[in-house]
Amino acid sequence: MEFDVFVHKLFQEGLAAGLTDMEVYQQTNGEFEVKVFEQELDSYTVSQSGGLSFRGKYAGKFGYAYTEKLDEAAIQFLVENAVANAKVVDSDDVAEIFAGSSTYPSLKPSGGIRAAASDKIAFAKELEATAKSLDKRVRTVDYCLYGDQSTEVRLVNTKGLDLSHSDDIAFAYVSVVVSEGEETKTASRFQVSPRFDQFDGIRLAKAAVAEAISLLGAKSVPSRTYPVILRHDAAADLLQTFSSVFSAEAAQKGLSLLAERVGEAIAGSNVTIVDDPLLAQGPSSVPFDAEGVATRTKRVVEAGVLTTLLHNLKTAAKEGVESTGNGVKGSYKGVVKVAPSNFYVQPGTLDLEQLVQQMHSGLVIIDLQGLHSGANAVSGDFSLAAKGYLVEAGKIVSPVEQITLAGNFYQMLKQIVAVGSDLKFGLPSAAGTYGAPSVLVEGLAVSGD
Amino acid sequence: MLKLDLIKDVLAAALSTGGDFAELFVEDTLRTSLTMVNGQVEEGISGRDHGVGIRIFRGLTSVYGYTNDSSRGGLLAAARQAAAAIAGVSGRLDLQLNQVPTGNSHPIRIMPHTVETHKKVDLMRRAHKAASAYDDLVTQVRVGFADEEQNVLVANSEGLVAEDQRVRTRFSVQAVASKNGEKQTGVSSPGRHMGFELFDSVVDVEAQAREAARSAVTMVNADLCPSGKMPVVIANEFGGVIFHEACGHGLEATSVAKGHSVFSDKLGQKIASDVVTAIDDGTIGNAWGSANIDDEGTPTRRNVLIEKGILKGYMVDKLNGRRMNMDRTGSARRQSYKFAPTSRMTNTYIANGTSTPEKIIASTEYGLYARYMGGGSVNPATGDFNFAVREGYLIKDGRIDKPVRGGTLIGRGSEVLLKIDMVGNDLDFGQGMCGSVSGSIPADVGQPCIRVSSITVGGRKEAE
Repeated sequence: MEFDVFVHKLFQEGLAAGLTDMEVYQQTNGEFEVKVFEQELDSYTVSQSGGLSFRGKYAGKFGYAYTEKLDEAAIQFLVENAVANAKVVDSDDVAEIFAGSSTYPSLKPSGGIRAAASDKIAFAKELEATAKSLDKRVRTVDYCLYGDQSTEVRLVNTKGLDLSHSDDIAFAYVSVVVSEGEETKTASRFQVSPRFDQFDGIRLAKAAVAEAISLLGAKSVPSRTYPVILRHDAAADLLQTFSSVFSAEAAQKGLSLLAERVGEAIAGSNVTIVDDPLLAQGPSSVPFDAEGVATRTKRVVEAGVLTTLLHNLKTAAKEGVESTGNGVKGSYKGVVKVAPSNFYVQPGTLDLEQLVQQMHSGLVIIDLQGLHSGANAVSGDFSLAAKGYLVEAGKIVSPVEQITLAGNFYQMLKQIVAVGSDLKFGLPSAAGTYGAPSVLVEGLAVSGD
Repeated sequence: MLKLDLIKDVLAAALSTGGDFAELFVEDTLRTSLTMVNGQVEEGISGRDHGVGIRIFRGLTSVYGYTNDSSRGGLLAAARQAAAAIAGVSGRLDLQLNQVPTGNSHPIRIMPHTVETHKKVDLMRRAHKAASAYDDLVTQVRVGFADEEQNVLVANSEGLVAEDQRVRTRFSVQAVASKNGEKQTGVSSPGRHMGFELFDSVVDVEAQAREAARSAVTMVNADLCPSGKMPVVIANEFGGVIFHEACGHGLEATSVAKGHSVFSDKLGQKIASDVVTAIDDGTIGNAWGSANIDDEGTPTRRNVLIEKGILKGYMVDKLNGRRMNMDRTGSARRQSYKFAPTSRMTNTYIANGTSTPEKIIASTEYGLYARYMGGGSVNPATGDFNFAVREGYLIKDGRIDKPVRGGTLIGRGSEVLLKIDMVGNDLDFGQGMCGSVSGSIPADVGQPCIRVSSITVGGRKEAE
């Protein structure tokens, strides 16, 4: 059934069933992905799919339902289930279906992906071939892929709001395995961009191979507290892992120690953290959030001081503040949560080499593993498998692995000695894209030999 | 779910450009999930997933396409779009489809959609009450209820047509204990390939809730975990995640076939200590990771991976089987029609040994006892793994001493397998969601209590 006809019928049926306010959030995705292995096309994926999320207010409570099939039966399914789910909800929803913001920011169009499948396959093959050719110790390229995605979102509600947004994103990823004797090391690199012509496969391949080679001969280090530089990617991963502490939803549920600390210094004065939904070419850039609220850029932490938590309509209403436009749906299958958009630590002035000189001796951490299990977003504690390099007398001297890095996120924010200039973003997720420059931390507990 | 004539036409369209194998996967899934925070139902969401995945092989190249549009026109368009990626000429196609009835080894007594939502909520309330009442230190209780009915049809150009229904129910309790600004979490989240009868026969919601609360309270009172290399005793059930991460992923054809795994080309070789026998079994009655057929339509089976330390077999799917010249093992799995299937674990466990858990502790002078493990991850190329200890204790003089929090175990799978020096006799299972190339899928991990003679423990406190 056609979307507009479907929604019209859905709202009619919903009204008849006792739903007062209703909203539809539709997402459609077109995806393309190729993987190559040993210069052959290994896999090729192409798809068109989507789904429709429905929420309705019944006796003051929201009930949710979604469907991937838009037929007559789906209308009944959505209405019945939204009502049934609303009936068991206890918590009063102070939020309403949103009638709209007065204005919406305009995002510069990304320019689109626009390349033939054959060009994309050729790019992936060249990426693999380059990685393989750079060093004879490259045993295999275990992942080499290119993918892109076009997403369209449409939000329509019974308060008259009808918004739509579409965006394109493309990504390339290469992971190499190098071997010397019995030793095996891996490293990977990725690039994310809305435009195919911005991809630089040679740069990716070179960086991945250089890093894997640099890890050969890695050893553990004695257990003790070390000054640590978290390279931009490790720092961004850690920021992502602990990003829920900035959510008003987590704070209101007692799951963030930043609850009621707005206005206080929570980090050193050299730390500023920005949520920027309007970032040019930002993978998570969007003009309105999942509830139709206009988005805006804000410094969540400014010179160490927490200026705001991130809000959706519900969390904002509970505190009597305005939504910050951070109502997010991971997909049409989810309910409205709170999450950042493009969320990053504002860069400082020193490059990585200068940070290493300033640290003098300690560790550079380039990779953290176990982020979904070894980090506790409630307490801020983390204990993570790590690898990187040992620094002595202001220089990187040898690779390090088989260590864990342990600390506490809240304490670490106050122990950042210097912030680097090399801001980079990690892989985008449905709950934001996270970026950081490399940061020098006074001391973290390392467990090794 | 689809008429045989239509299936035939779609497979023919998929092979029209020279593919040598085509497969259709049709999925229709109903789901419900409910979340209760501090005794209040915060949200309920129900949904219907519906879509079709079409896979085409030509030699070792695999093309995958998927769509929500299961009309004749939509399916043919998706098949042709996927086929367009293969530039060849179609051979003669003589397709005979043969629908084989799938036997059902996992009977469901009470289908989730027949149970009124408020009955599910009643169970959640009981759990909330039991966890909150456990101790004054419990400051937050989160209860989750999720069920799904996944109906699938798999058909392929070898003539197979098979259907299966996977019904799963999971109940989770998360308790947060707070003391002096410190917060610790305890969880309990049992699940089965079952309907609402889960709560008659398997899950006692109050007991689960109290266990989550007990764990949170124990950990908030715990000291920091020491770091360094030491013997580690890992308790049964979810402790099996060590094998899942450190070894299981490396035995999936996904990483073995291309020579990426540390266990590639090691069949018949000793890869673990003599006390280790490990099995992946997708047939265990109503277990969380079980199904009648895998997502390529092959009946699931019991695969011995390691027998007394010797590598006996891998988990193999059709495509990687081509590369490895090996048969399928009923291990092909995918999260949904949005993913091409590949070899994955189902219910994976270390088999019972002979020691009692008490004896294992008693014979350990100093070390760490990991009563509950958290999740972890592994790099299949190097075997490097890490995982969190959710509830740990120090072992001193052969006795369990004080609880410790915040520990992480790191190591290399191939090394740890050789260092397992005691295996208990109390095999049991824990449930998890395993994430990998074909998405997030339910998987059981399991083991009896085991001891690893030495692992690097990462903690925030230096070794004593």
